[in-house]
Amino acid sequence: MISLVTGSLLFAYAGMLGLCQGLERHYKQVWQRSPSPALRLSLRALGWLGLLLSLLLCAQAWGWAMGAVAWFGVISLAAVVLVMLLPYWPRFAVALVAAIPVWSVLHLFG
Amino acid sequence: MKNTFTQSMAWLHTWAGLIFGWLLFAIFVTGTLAVFDKELSHWMQPEIPASTVSQADVAKRAISYLQQHQANAGNWGISLPTERSPGLSVSTGDRRHGVVVPLDPNSGEPLAVRDSVGGNFFFRFHFTLDLPRNWGIFVVGALALVMLAGLISGIVIHKKIFKEFFTFRPDKGQRSWLDFHNASAVLLLPFHLMITYTGLVIFMMIYIPAGVDAVFEGDSRAYFQAQGNARVEQPRRLAKTPADLVELAPLLAQAEARLGPIGSIGIRNPNTAAALIEVRPVLGNRIALTKGNAMVFDGVSGRLLSDVPELRPAPLTQRVMAGLHFAQFGGYPMRWLYFICGLISCAMIASGLVLFCVKRGRKYAPADSRADAAARRWYRVAEVCNVGFISGLMVACVGLLWASRLLPAELAQREAWEVRAFFGLWLLALLHAGVRPAKQAWVEQLALCAVLCGGLGVLGIFAGGVDHLRLGVEVTGLVLGIGLALAAWRVACPKPAVVKPRAARTMEAKA
Repeated sequence: MISLVTGSLLFAYAGMLGLCQGLERHYKQVWQRSPSPALRLSLRALGWLGLLLSLLLCAQAWGWAMGAVAWFGVISLAAVVLVMLLPYWPRFAVALVAAIPVWSVLHLFG
Repeated sequence: MKNTFTQSMAWLHTWAGLIFGWLLFAIFVTGTLAVFDKELSHWMQPEIPASTVSQADVAKRAISYLQQHQANAGNWGISLPTERSPGLSVSTGDRRHGVVVPLDPNSGEPLAVRDSVGGNFFFRFHFTLDLPRNWGIFVVGALALVMLAGLISGIVIHKKIFKEFFTFRPDKGQRSWLDFHNASAVLLLPFHLMITYTGLVIFMMIYIPAGVDAVFEGDSRAYFQAQGNARVEQPRRLAKTPADLVELAPLLAQAEARLGPIGSIGIRNPNTAAALIEVRPVLGNRIALTKGNAMVFDGVSGRLLSDVPELRPAPLTQRVMAGLHFAQFGGYPMRWLYFICGLISCAMIASGLVLFCVKRGRKYAPADSRADAAARRWYRVAEVCNVGFISGLMVACVGLLWASRLLPAELAQREAWEVRAFFGLWLLALLHAGVRPAKQAWVEQLALCAVLCGGLGVLGIFAGGVDHLRLGVEVTGLVLGIGLALAAWRVACPKPAVVKPRAARTMEAKA
């Protein structure tokens, strides 16, 4: 349960990060240059994919009825964390997605 | 009125937000705390021990206590230890005027537990504001409508919802406050809308009773009976015939297999042929709030007489919405989601209130400002109320926890004194805000609140009764205390606005 919830939070964060970095002003905020249109598009697509995976993990943790409720909370909180990190430590906010592989390993083999 | 639609919405948002925001903040803070009401109750009554005894054994001990001391009572109630509240208590008499005796789940002996309003105070304050009768419910309902109006008008006047979806620009004064207010409102909009709307739905029968009055001809009892358990009645003469009570453990096992964890047991007419055993689950194995549902067994044969009722679509809809508000489902992870979302809601309301003053500060605050005296006085009122209703209320809330531990355990009418401590602290905080300059008042009250929150653990060590639930309360207090201390520190020494370097950079670029 805890592992699934953590995973859904991480994927929600990564999803929100993808959507955020798919916007020119926030990409510039981190990397000081403009993203190419293709990169922007793929970041957004990855963002939506992250949110979708987060929903699947929520549903696995709570079932579809409660999972859907929890998902709204999870993506909202993930976005708040992102928005609060971004102006202070922009690179760290991006680097945080590295937690996903760590989580995957722990979840699958732990 | 203002010229355009957006302007009138902005006017509504500003003034309704200011005037009603103070009480809305109190409602949101106490509601957030009420997510952990049982845990707080447990913390506030350190005499209740942790126990690892199984529910069946505990029930057996409770029954043997009742057999010994209350064999002839008409009603028995047993509140079993659960994951969230390890206390055991037995009661006799009806629900309102019953006598409750806390027992030690480890020995089955009566336990001297101090009287305390417990976390239940936050829960009750959340929807009654401690007003008598139904007035509080109506006031809170009206405030919920204002909150909805605030959310909708906020959406209307926020023209860049998607463009500034991820935007927060710190250290820029008014701009930062607006950014934070917007981000916390927009990102949690599903939560804000859900919690406000479902809050109204809980009491819809009180707010708009016409439908029930028409169908049930004003008989609200008939209405409640129509959706609850079918009431099982035993012939009255059986209540005079003595009979042995059936063994509880198999019934509990049967009920647990069907309903999930069990919360309480009620026995009507114990030790007679008319005995009925009602087994109620803890809330939360589904979203719908199923308060009052029970499996009813014959107390002599142990036969199942009545199962939990299936809800029909309309009541089910209402119960699901109430359940969404009460957050009893989904276990601790869900509770934490609600708690943190609630904290951010509180911060959203508080930042809106602060924004009101930040926006007008330059015009009204300085003593030599050209604004007329009346306007400056009103500005000062807003400032004082902001401090008193935001940091003051938080001091009062954590002060209640301190009062529960510090007031002498044998004090007569102890619960009333705890409530007095809560309102007394709140009043003191308002007075303090009135006599101190705004900035000092913020710093002092936030710092006090931080110390009180962080100190819960210290108090816990000295007052005893440490277990994992209480430790959870204390650690959470510590984390919140650190947050509040940071806030106090930032108010005390604000960073100089970092506008200059950027201005210099643009100058360089131009050159």
